[in-house]
Amino acid sequence: MSTSRDAILAKIRRHRPAGPALPDIHTVPFLTFDDKFAAFAGLIRNLGGEAIWLAEDQTVAEAVAQRWPQRGRVVDLTLLQHEEAFTPHDWHDVDVAIVPGELAVAENAAVWVSHPDNTFRSLYFLTDKLVMVVPKERLVDTMRDAYGQIAIREHGFGAFISGSSRTADIEQSLVMGAHGAMAALVIFC
Amino acid sequence: MKVGLFIPCFVNELYPHVAMATLELLEGYGVEAVYPLEQSCCGQPLANNGDSVGACAAAERFTGLFKDFDYVVAPSGSCVSHVKHHFPWYIADNADFQRLQPRVYEIVEFLQDVLRVDKLPKPVYFPHKVSIHQSCHGLRELQHASPSELMIPYQSRLERILQLVDGIEIGLPERRDECCGFGGTFCVDEPEVSVAMGRDRVAQHEATGAEYIVGADSSCLMHMGGIIRHNGRTIRPLHVVELLTGRGGAA
Amino acid sequence: MKADNLYHPDAARAFLADGARASWHDQAIWFVRQKRDTQARQLPEWEELRKLAEQIKAHTLSRLDEYLLQFEENARHNGVTVHFAADAAEHNRIVHQLLAARQVKKLVKSKSMLTEECGLNPYLEARGIEVIDTDLGERIVQLRHEAPSHIVMPAIHLKKEQISELFHEELGTEAGNNDPTYLTHAARANLRQHFLTADAGLTGVNFAVAETGGVVVCTNEGNADLGTALPRLHIASMGIEKIIPKLEHLGVFTRLLARSAIGSPVTTYTSHFHRARPGGEMHIVIVDNGRSDILGNPDFYASLRCIRCGACMNTCPVYRRSSGHSYSYVIPGPIGSTLGPSRDIKKHGSMAFACTTCGSCSNVCPVRINLHEQLILQRKRVFDAGALKPAKKMGLLAMRFLTRHPALLDGAGKAMRKVVPILPEVIKDSTAWSRPGRELPEMPEHSFKELYRRSQENKQ
Repeated sequence: MSTSRDAILAKIRRHRPAGPALPDIHTVPFLTFDDKFAAFAGLIRNLGGEAIWLAEDQTVAEAVAQRWPQRGRVVDLTLLQHEEAFTPHDWHDVDVAIVPGELAVAENAAVWVSHPDNTFRSLYFLTDKLVMVVPKERLVDTMRDAYGQIAIREHGFGAFISGSSRTADIEQSLVMGAHGAMAALVIFC
Repeated sequence: MKVGLFIPCFVNELYPHVAMATLELLEGYGVEAVYPLEQSCCGQPLANNGDSVGACAAAERFTGLFKDFDYVVAPSGSCVSHVKHHFPWYIADNADFQRLQPRVYEIVEFLQDVLRVDKLPKPVYFPHKVSIHQSCHGLRELQHASPSELMIPYQSRLERILQLVDGIEIGLPERRDECCGFGGTFCVDEPEVSVAMGRDRVAQHEATGAEYIVGADSSCLMHMGGIIRHNGRTIRPLHVVELLTGRGGAA
Repeated sequence: MKADNLYHPDAARAFLADGARASWHDQAIWFVRQKRDTQARQLPEWEELRKLAEQIKAHTLSRLDEYLLQFEENARHNGVTVHFAADAAEHNRIVHQLLAARQVKKLVKSKSMLTEECGLNPYLEARGIEVIDTDLGERIVQLRHEAPSHIVMPAIHLKKEQISELFHEELGTEAGNNDPTYLTHAARANLRQHFLTADAGLTGVNFAVAETGGVVVCTNEGNADLGTALPRLHIASMGIEKIIPKLEHLGVFTRLLARSAIGSPVTTYTSHFHRARPGGEMHIVIVDNGRSDILGNPDFYASLRCIRCGACMNTCPVYRRSSGHSYSYVIPGPIGSTLGPSRDIKKHGSMAFACTTCGSCSNVCPVRINLHEQLILQRKRVFDAGALKPAKKMGLLAMRFLTRHPALLDGAGKAMRKVVPILPEVIKDSTAWSRPGRELPEMPEHSFKELYRRSQENKQ
C-alpha cells in the first residue's frame, strides 16, 4: 500500500535479533482461590463496585431496584425485548444499564462484556450506573483462565470491566466516576 | 589458599583502616592474603562514564595482576560487581579473566561462602543498635540480600554476619534498600539530587533509633558521612569489616 | 513542550529548590511503588510472570516483521484500515489526512505517549483541528500547555491547588475549591460534552494481537471507550513494538500492567477493539520512528520490550527527586533515559547520567529490561560521540592515565590527602561535592598502601 510499509518491514527483517521460542504460558502454576466469589467481592469494594449473589426468589430488576430505588432511565440488555438506540449518542442520559457479563475474574474483579445483541457499546460507558449480570458458574481464577474462554462477539468489541470508572490524577487521590460509570454492580445468578 | 587483596582506590587513600580490617579478618581466619602493590583502580569510574577504552585497559590490567591468586577479595560490593559483571563488557574473551571471574569475592561473601565462618576470629562485643545500609551493587548485582522489588524469599548477608557480634541490635530503615544517592561520579554530576537522596537516607537510618549505619561499601558511607557531619548529626557510618574486627568504637 | 536544551542536573537543581514540594513528589510517587509491591506480593508466580512476559516480547521482537504482517492481514480482514508510518511526520500526515477527508473539526484523544513523541497535537491544531486530551491528567497538562511529567500519571508534578486554579480559569469551577472529587467531576462534565460532540477519536494502543488483528487499550477512566464508541471515526496509533502474538498472551500482560503501573490488580477498562462501532470506521497507524534502528542495536533492543507501565519511574530515586520535567526526552525516568539517547545522543545524553545505577528499575520492570545497564551503555555512546562536557572528559582522560600508572595515582592520592585539609573553607564549600551540604571526608595521614608497605618491611 505504501512504500513506508515495505521499507519498515525490510529494515525490521534486517535488524531483528535472535530470540527465544514462544513460551508455553500454561506451564507456570498461577494463583487459585478457594472462594472465588469472596475474592471477587472483596476486591470490587475497593474499586467502586459491589458484587452480590442473586437471591433465589429475586429478579435482577428487583435487586437493582433495591440498591437504587431512584432509578431514572433504565436500559436492560438482559431482557429479550429491550430498548434499542439509533445512534450511540442516544444512550447519553441513561441512569442504569443492566448488561450481560459473560464471565468474571476472581483475581481482579473484572467482568468480560461482549454482548452479540448490543448495537452500541457506548451504553457501557455513558451510563451513570453499570450492572453486569454474570452466570455464577462463570467465575474463573485469573486472566489466563479468562482469555481461554472468551469470544469477541459484539461488533469486534469486548472489554473487561473492573469496578467503576476512576482516576487518581489529582494528587493521587482516588476519585470514582472519571468518565464512565460512577458505580458498578455485579450480580451473579 | 592464597588470596589477592583487592583494595578499591578510594579506600586505599581515604579508608586505610577499612583495608586493614579486611586484611586482619582474612589473616585472623588463617588465610594467606597478599596485597599486590601495583594495583590502581578497577576502572569502574571510567566504565560508568562511557570511557570504554580506559575501562578495557583497566580490566586487562586488573586481570593480569590478580590472575594467579586462588581468590580475589575486596571490601566493596560495588567494585567486585564491576569486576564480575561488567568486565565481560570489555574483556569477555580474555581467557585469564574467564578463569578469574568466579574467584572474585566481596569480603562478606568470601567469609560466608568460601570460609563458611560461624564465629569471628576474635570475639566482638558491640552493645549498640545498628541500621543496615544495603549498597545497591552488592544488593542487586551480587544478591547480598533480596531486593525489595523482587518477590523472592528474604535473606540478607549483612544481617547474617552481624549475628556473630555479641550484644548488637539490628534495625532496617524504612524503604529498606533505597539508594543513598552516591552513585559514583553521579555524586558530583548531580550533587543536589545526590545530597537530597542522602539526606533522606540518613533520616531513615536515624529513625530506626540506631547509633550506627553499617554497610559494606565505603563509598556510600563516605557520602552519608559527609551529610551527617554537615548537619551535625550523631549517627555514625561504619563499614562492616570495622565492626567485625572490633574497630566499631567504644564498647 | 520541553525546552530543546534541557540539561538534567540544572533542571533537577531547580526542582529541588522547593524542598517541601520535592519531598511531597518523592513520597507521592513512592506510595505508588509501595502499592505495586503489595499487588506483586499477592501473586506467588510474580517472578515467573515477569519471565514469561520477557520471553514473549523477546520472541516477538525476533520475528517482528512476520507478526506485523500477520497483524496487518487480520486487521484488514476485520475491516480495519492499516497504515504504516516511517516517522513522526508521516504519522501526523496520515492522521491529518484521515481527519481532513472527513471534515473532522474536533478530535478526542485518549492517552498516547506515541502522539506526544510525534508532536501530533500542535500539528493538528496548526491545521485547524481542535484536539481534546481526555485523560484527566493529560487534559490538565494540555490546559497548562506543558508536557506530561509521567507516562501514567501525567500531572503528578502538580498540587491540587494549582489544578483548582487552572480549572477555575478554564472550566469555571469555584475559586479555591481544591477537592479532588469536585475537580474531577467538573472535568467529567466538561469532557462529556466534548465526547458527545467530537467527530473522531484517537487512542494509543497497549497491545496489538497478531492472531486477531485487534488492539487493546487499558484505561481507568473510560476515556478511550467513550472516545471510540461515540464518533464515527476511530484512529489507533501504535509503535511497531506493541505487537504480541496471541490473544492468550494478554493473560500474562494484563496481569502485569496495572499491578506494575498503579498497584491495582487491573485497569477498570481493558478494551479490545477489532472493528469500528456500527456505522463507523477504524484505522490503525503503525509507526516506526526510529524503533527499527533500536531493534538493530544489540545493547538496546531490549528496551523495545517496554509496555509503558511507568514502574521504573516510580521506583527511580532520581526521578522522584527531580520530576519528569527535568528530563529532556518526552518519556522521562529510566526507560526514557535509554529511549531518548537512542534517538538523539547529543540532545538527550544527560539523561543517561541521571542515574546512580542502583538497579531498582531493572528489578521492577515487568518485562525485565536491563534498564540500569542500558543507561551505562548509553554513556559509552555519549563519550564516543564527544558529547561529554570538556571538563568531565579531561578528568576521565586523566583518570584513565593514572589507572595505568599506579605510582602516579598514589602520588595524586597523597597530594589530595595533604592539600585538602589545608584548603580554605570557601574553596572546599564551592566544590560540587560540598556545595549542596556535604562535608569532604577526613584525610588520613597514610594510605593503606603506605601502611602495608611499611608493615611488609618491618616483617622483613
